[in-house]
Amino acid sequence: MSSCRKRCKREILKFAQYLFRFITGTLNADSVEDELELSAARHRPEALEQLEAQTRFSRKELQILYRGFKNECPSGVVNEDTFKEIYSQFFPQGDASTYAHFLFDAFDTDHNGSVSFEDFVMGLSILLRGTVQEKLNWAFNLYDINKDGYITKEEMLDIIKSIYDMMGKCTYPTLKEETPRQHVEIFFQKMDKNRDGVVTIDEFIDCCQNDENIMKSMQLFENVI
Amino acid sequence: MAAGVAAWLPFARAAAIGWMPVASAPMPPPPRDKRRGQDGLIILNVSGTRFQTWLNTLERYPDTLLGSTERDFFFHEETNEYFFDRDPDIFRHILNFYRTGKLHYPRHECISAYDEELAFFGIIPEIIGDCCYEEYKDRRRENAERIQDDEENDNNKDMVLPDMSFRETMWRAFENPHTSTMALVFYYVTGFFIAVSVMANVVETVPCGSGPNRAKEVSCGERYALAFFCLDTACVMIFTVEYLLRLIAAPSRYKFVKSVMSIIDVVAIMPYYIGLVMTDNEDVSGAFVTLRVFRVFRIFKFSRHSAGLRILGYTLKSCASELGFLLFSLTMAIIIFATVMFYAEKGSTATKFTSIPAAFWYTIVTMTTLGYGDMVPKTIIGKVFGSICSLSGVLVIALPVPVIVSNFSRIYHQSQRAEKRRAQKKTRLARIHAAKSGGANAYLQYKRNGMLAEAEEEASKQAGQALVCKSNPTFETQHHHLLHCLEKTTNHEFVDEQTYETSCMEVSLAKPSMSRSSSMSSSPHGLSSCCTRRNKRKSFNVPNSNMVAGRRGSIQELSTIQIRERPMSNSRSSLNAKFEETVPLNSEEQSYITAAVISMPTPPVTTPEGGDSSSSHNFLQSNIVRVSAL
Repeated sequence: MSSCRKRCKREILKFAQYLFRFITGTLNADSVEDELELSAARHRPEALEQLEAQTRFSRKELQILYRGFKNECPSGVVNEDTFKEIYSQFFPQGDASTYAHFLFDAFDTDHNGSVSFEDFVMGLSILLRGTVQEKLNWAFNLYDINKDGYITKEEMLDIIKSIYDMMGKCTYPTLKEETPRQHVEIFFQKMDKNRDGVVTIDEFIDCCQNDENIMKSMQLFENVI
Repeated sequence: MAAGVAAWLPFARAAAIGWMPVASAPMPPPPRDKRRGQDGLIILNVSGTRFQTWLNTLERYPDTLLGSTERDFFFHEETNEYFFDRDPDIFRHILNFYRTGKLHYPRHECISAYDEELAFFGIIPEIIGDCCYEEYKDRRRENAERIQDDEENDNNKDMVLPDMSFRETMWRAFENPHTSTMALVFYYVTGFFIAVSVMANVVETVPCGSGPNRAKEVSCGERYALAFFCLDTACVMIFTVEYLLRLIAAPSRYKFVKSVMSIIDVVAIMPYYIGLVMTDNEDVSGAFVTLRVFRVFRIFKFSRHSAGLRILGYTLKSCASELGFLLFSLTMAIIIFATVMFYAEKGSTATKFTSIPAAFWYTIVTMTTLGYGDMVPKTIIGKVFGSICSLSGVLVIALPVPVIVSNFSRIYHQSQRAEKRRAQKKTRLARIHAAKSGGANAYLQYKRNGMLAEAEEEASKQAGQALVCKSNPTFETQHHHLLHCLEKTTNHEFVDEQTYETSCMEVSLAKPSMSRSSSMSSSPHGLSSCCTRRNKRKSFNVPNSNMVAGRRGSIQELSTIQIRERPMSNSRSSLNAKFEETVPLNSEEQSYITAAVISMPTPPVTTPEGGDSSSSHNFLQSNIVRVSAL
């Protein structure tokens, strides 16, 4: 009852204020616009020598990487929307935003909502110059959406669906509803050795190391930079 | 693609490792990195001003002059730089486009000079950023209008072409009186007679003193009835002759009859003829008198002689919605106040507010602050509401009127501009969208050209079909490889819209009649024929050069297409076999095809007959499917 009264009081006060402003002609006084401040405004990466030591890139490669990074994100950090936008430009036919979201989570190792140049370069260092073990680790981390150490069927389904989303509508053969699910089944058949419904990191690495195709394809992008 | 995105390609490719464990098919090998360590500085000397940038920056847009091999034509060996004999001030903006991906339009530059520079460097103006696009389009439109006006003025000053027919001469004389003396004379004569006719209409109602055998005053029209009748006849005859002449001379009579001016002409002369027909009939004389009112419309004939009247008429027409709103709001206010006044004055005795419609008159007179005083409220509450009525009348009427007046020019220009902008925006967005989808289509083309086949077979076929070292920039090949990896991961292929639709259609048709293999085989061939057609579209030399058999008769035929199906013994190899032999023939067209091809959907044509010879041994069955072109 008292809350009701309080509310009534508040409403009456508001109306009185309104009437006053109506009479004096200041009804549409410009409310102070909240300045949209970019919260993570500026970020300067660590020095070139430090990054050189921490990653496996050469000085020149780091220079090229940073130039491209800074060009697209002058503030020095990528937030998720920009990330999605950039990644979507490579897949014009489909919708790459879901997969970009997973990628973003995988790159944003400290989970602060933005990817700085260090995160970016660390991730790339693993992907391009890391050992097979590290790459597989990274891939497992990508698939494990909630980062609990197990890949469940639902997580895998999300990932696979997002990959298929990137293909878009116009594919051959036409994408059917159950295609991602079938793909997940095949994957689990291969990976889940003890049939417990989840894939652990060891099962994953074991299985991938035994699969020749996967091993070969891991070496594919060595010379990207 | 946007500028910086090219720099992110390595990242996207690296992230593709995430697909590897779930891939259902082995990945294609990556393209050879042809130009490693070629990221050097490049010097562009534009009329003495030296610009420097990275080579990679320029290569982001391979379909422009600076991004393609076309710039080699401007290479200057002595100084080891690229020399362009163009305007350095405008070049600055063009170079910024490469750097930032956004093209800006400098407001102080001349629009045609800017357009020329853009055309020279191969940049389409549609990609001008939103910040500058409106200004650019406005300037362009102004320029176009000015050029058009100049042309029109020139045309008007032209001497009469000797081969103009008499009819055309007459029409020209009517429309532009200053072209010949006769026309000018005619123009002034008609003007004079319009004035005379209007004056006569006015004067004949003036009381002219009492007649000799009547007590009351008569109007001049009744006193000098014959004179006025003769005058009227003369005027109407002239107007009729003018109207008939215009009707004869009009290039499109139907359009002329529909036009406002001709309607005014007809309305101006009709009463006379109707009066001629209906004389001495007492019953209809009342109606006859009413018809005479229409004679005042002759004054509107002046609008042919005055440009100002025409503009006023046009602006009133274009401001019709504002006027309509004014009328509507007035009506609402009138009804409200009339009701209030009626009920307020109901109590007082001998009131003039007998009904609500009767109160309308009071409300209108009060709201427009006329205040005749023939109806006044007597009760106090009536007076209170009466004063509120007059105050609100000031508001309701006085406010929209200046707004309408100032809206005349603003709304006129604005509506014109808004519509044009909308039309431009549609086409502009469509072109940008087409350029974007050109990126996707570039990949499909790339596939058809057997680039992927080349990469796959490279290991086995060392004896190079020296497939022409394509001038595709590294970015393109790498991007295509990335898309290819995605295809392999999901075991689905990218296709374009058209074939997707046809395959959808076929799949729905194919289930009862055709075997699964045949339906699968139809689409790739549709694709290949699709793509070869697209290849041909952009090449400058005669199309169909990649068809070995040179069968080109059916290109022109657009009604039906034949897609010959071949059984697919194994999914890729037969395709590869077919593509490989078309690749060398495609090569010469390769340099013309860029990523920004705006490919319009074209109907697929017959498959290259050259494929016949190689895969004839595979030819177990062939079903010909007729698909009608869009």
